[in-house]
Formats: sequence, C-alpha cells, structure tokens
Amino acid sequence: MSRVTLEAVGKSYGALTVLKPLDLDIADGEFLVLLGPSGCGKSTTMRMIAGLEAISTGTLRFDGRDVTQLHPRDRNVAMVFQNYALYPHMTVADNIGYPLKVARVAKADRQAQIEAAARKVDLTPYLSRYPRDLSGGQRQRVALARALVRSPGVFLLDEPLSNLDAKLRVAMRAEIKHLQRSLGVTMIYVTHDQIEAMTLADRVVLLNDGRIQQVGTPDEIYDNPENLFVAGFIGSPPMNFVEGAAADGTFAGPGVADLPCPGAGRLTLGFRAEDTTLSDSGRFSGTVYEVEPTGEATYIVLQMGPHRVNLRCDKRFRPDLGTTLRFDLGAGQALFFDTASGQRVG
Amino acid sequence: MNRGILSSRLLTFLFWIAMSALTLLPVWWMFLVSVRTRADLFGKPSFLLDLSAMTWENYAAVLSNPTFQKYMTNSLIVATSNAVLVSMLALLAAYAMSRFALAGKDNLFFWVLTNRMAPPAVFLLPLFLMFTGFRIGDWSLFDTRIGLILLYCVFNLPFAFWLLQGIVDAIPRELDEAAYVDGASTFTVLMTVIFPLARPGLAVTGILTWVFAWNEYLFASTLTSVDARTITTGLAEFVTVTGTNWGELAAVAMLTLAPAALVLALVQRHIVAGLTFGAVKG
Repeated sequence: MSRVTLEAVGKSYGALTVLKPLDLDIADGEFLVLLGPSGCGKSTTMRMIAGLEAISTGTLRFDGRDVTQLHPRDRNVAMVFQNYALYPHMTVADNIGYPLKVARVAKADRQAQIEAAARKVDLTPYLSRYPRDLSGGQRQRVALARALVRSPGVFLLDEPLSNLDAKLRVAMRAEIKHLQRSLGVTMIYVTHDQIEAMTLADRVVLLNDGRIQQVGTPDEIYDNPENLFVAGFIGSPPMNFVEGAAADGTFAGPGVADLPCPGAGRLTLGFRAEDTTLSDSGRFSGTVYEVEPTGEATYIVLQMGPHRVNLRCDKRFRPDLGTTLRFDLGAGQALFFDTASGQRVG
Repeated sequence: MNRGILSSRLLTFLFWIAMSALTLLPVWWMFLVSVRTRADLFGKPSFLLDLSAMTWENYAAVLSNPTFQKYMTNSLIVATSNAVLVSMLALLAAYAMSRFALAGKDNLFFWVLTNRMAPPAVFLLPLFLMFTGFRIGDWSLFDTRIGLILLYCVFNLPFAFWLLQGIVDAIPRELDEAAYVDGASTFTVLMTVIFPLARPGLAVTGILTWVFAWNEYLFASTLTSVDARTITTGLAEFVTVTGTNWGELAAVAMLTLAPAALVLALVQRHIVAGLTFGAVKG
C-alpha cells in the first residue's frame, strides 16, 4: 500500500503542453478516479504514475520517496490496461504468474500465489486456458489477477471496463470496488464514464484540457460543482442550464423570473432534472418539446426560450407536446455560474 | 451437382495437375538420371522408372566422396549460422526501430532497404580485395566459412529486417508496457514477449535466409577455393574438361535439394502464418 503524491507534475511534448502542472495527494488505501473527456490528460497522468511516460516537470512520490526517474519495474505498481494486454502465447496461469517469474519467485511459491490470485477473481477453472479462449469478462479478471499477484503498492486501472458490454460492466464494477475494499489497496482508476466514477470513487479528480477542474467526493462534485464544465459533465441527464441576467439580487431569464440569486450581471442558472417539482405556481415555465419514458421515471424535455431542460417526473406522466408546464426548485437547488468565466458564484 | 460445376472443377483439377507436372518433372528427371548407370543413361531415355535397372551407386559414390562431404558440411554450417545470426540481428534491429525513438529512423530504414537493391555482382571485386587484403597474420577472410557467413549476413539482413519490422510493429506495444510494469527489463521483454510472439516471422526469416545462403553461387565460387567451398559450387566441379559425370551430378543435385525441401516442408505452416502475421493481428 502506498500514498501517492504528485507535486506540480506536468507533461509536455516539445512546445505542446498536454498536462498543466497538477498537485494531488492520494491517501494510502484510497480509491481515486481520474475522470474526464477524451484527450483531457487522465491517461497521461496515470501512465506517468506507472512510469510509462516521462514526467516533464514536477515530482512524483510514493510514501514520500521520490520515484520520478524510476523505471516502471522499480515502482511496485500494477496496471490493468484498457485492452487487458494479456500475453497471448501464455496460459492464464502463466499470465498471472508472469510478474512472479520475472521476480524469480520459486516455482512452488509461484504456483501457490497464482492459485490464490485466481481464487480471488474466480478464475481457478480457467488456469490452463489461453486468453483467446476466454470471454471479455474473463480476460478482464486475468488482468486483475495479474495485478493482484504482485501485491503492489499502487493499483492503476486504465479504462478497464470500456471493452465490456453494459451488463458485464456493471457486474465488474461492483467486483472491482469490492476487491479494493477487501484488500485496502490504493487504487487509481481512469475512466471517461461518470457513472463509473461516481459509483467507485472515494474521491474523483475531474480533468479537462490538461487541467484539474475539481477534486472531491462524488457527492461534493455532484452537489457542488465548481464550474460549468463540472456541472455539465457530471450527472445523467446532465445539469440543465438557463442563461440570464441578475440584478438587485434576482435572476431573470427565458421562462424564469424573480429567482433570488447572489451576484450580478450575466449569469447561468443550473439545476438538476430530479430537483424539479411540477407546480402550477412554479417560478419556471416552458412548453413540452418531447416526452422520454424510461420505465422508472419519465423525463420531460421542456423548451425554455433557446434552452431545452430536462425534468424528472412520475413514471406514468405523459403530457401532450406543446403544453405549457410550470415547475419549481427547492431551496438551495438553483446553482449560479458566471456566464463568461464559467465559475460558480452561488 | 450440375454439369457446369463439375466441368469447372475438372478444369481446375487438370490445371493444377499440369502445374505440378511442370514443377516436378525436372526433379523426377533428375532423380531418374541419378539412379541409372552411365550406360543406361544414354541408352533409351524414358520418363518411367525401371526398377530392375535402378542403382544407388551414384549416391554411394558421392556420399563416400570426402570432398562432397566437406562441401555439404560447409553448406550446412554456412547456411544455418547465417540464418540464425541474421534472424537474431534482424529481430534486435526491428525491435529497436519499432519501440525506441531513434533519430532519423525512417531514413535509416529506407537506406538499409535500398542498399539491398544493388546487384550483388557490383560488390564482387571490392569484396574479393577486402577478403584477401584483410589479414591477421596468415589468416584472411578468403576461403573461410566465417567470411561467407558474414557476407551473407550483409545481403540477408535488409530483407530480414524489413520482414521482422512489420511483425514486431504488429505486436501491441501495451504488451511491452504490461511486462515493464510487471517488473521486466528490456531484455526480459524481448525474450519473453517479443521473441515468442515473433516466432512465425522468425521462422520465415530463418528459412528464407537459409535457402538464400544454401543456394548462393556467385560469392561462394569467387571468395572460396578449397576449404570453405559449398555444395552449389561443388556441383560445377562435375563438369570437367574430360566430360560430365551426369549420374553423380544428378545425385549431388538431389542431395542438395533434399535439405531445402525438408526445411521448407517443416516450416511451411509458419511461413504462411508469418507472411500474414501483420494482416491478421492488424
């Protein structure tokens, strides 16, 4: 187990900076998720922690020890790759035992550890098979077992579920979380899927354009986004935005008026679909653009001036298209962002 | 089955029978010559084997001939050493070119390949001068097996390098990275990941370079005289000013053909896999 500290760690390729210097302290035994859209720098960050990419600026420490210049083999990390990176010419047992073989662990010890790791991920019946004979989920387990067998200080998982189908992804997600809890290991997990991030993480680091947007627990990030990017990225459906103007402590925009708010000038109102309540006396109004039943709820897409917003309603609610609906928000459920800078103002 | 399909299959069958005959008849003829006595040979030419007149005396004469034995040994040593050395060096070069950022790597690759395009005869005179001129005491590269092995490496390496480059490129880089994270050094990655996965390609490289060295005549006849002479140059020695010993010549030719045919048969499966490696891994 290791505590991982990034001190102003950055990455550049010549004049092109892909990752601005970032500071991050990952506690021993923490499950940290690096989240962000494609090209945001999350995989680069993970590869720098693994030692697969050189660190351009800053210092990386494991338990206080500077490992910035260390070769990957000397860092005591284990990594699960997006496409599993299983050795196709080796059986499952040989794949799992590869790190031990490289470390010249005696054959009897090795066998015992391979079997123990295989048991943890339910792979015992498949030890003599080759990766090509396994399903996607089983390959994923082999990759996990290969990581487990080393008892590494840090586990790195680079979008490990993205090649699995939706159902298997949900099942593996739970298994990974259970594994991390039961072993108490430090785990750093890269994903672009915000549901994965929310369900797995102790803390989420949300990145965009090579810069940290927000670091916090899933609840903090969901309830108190620091800027428009975070607010729009987290949540399904994403947060609703209505641009307007604030003066004398009230906000007005298309379909909304007299909403108390801090700040003044051009602001963007943000609210979540599930925080809305239909009410004839509501301060918000719009016309029904589309109705989207999902089984557990019905989402109404409402046109408010140039904006379309989502409302989460009762699962049997089916308004006619074009009907005008009014709704309201509870106290503290309206968030305000400066339209120009995107930063939260209240 | 309708008549059209049947006749089309028959035509295909006949075509391949004809193609096989075209390839195999000269070999069959050579075999007939090698198992006939000198008297029979010029008596009544026939494509049929007369078992009662068949004789192995040409083979016995050739195999008991110390000169032939030496030529055969030389050929085996030179071709095998060349194949092993070339495959090994080409794998190392291909790995370096595929995985590491080397300055001017594209130009280097082009330069290596274009070097191979010059006709080998162009290099004959300079090589002769070099082989005879470069001396350590009494020893020179001229008429040595090591001289031939090194020379064949020069001519085989570009091709082997080109072949293996595509194969190493097709091995996902994540496998190297996974191995590094698993604690492997670069050498361990090469030996435990790259080498086993490149095996079909190495088999192709090995056999093709082996066949090249086995069949090579021009340099072997010019740069050797007595000690390092190979079997291909030895074949020519059966044509003398006093006549040609056709029976023994054909026996030697059959014996020369045998190892190449055997090696090809053994690695045929790998050759197909090796040549399509990049395509299927893509």
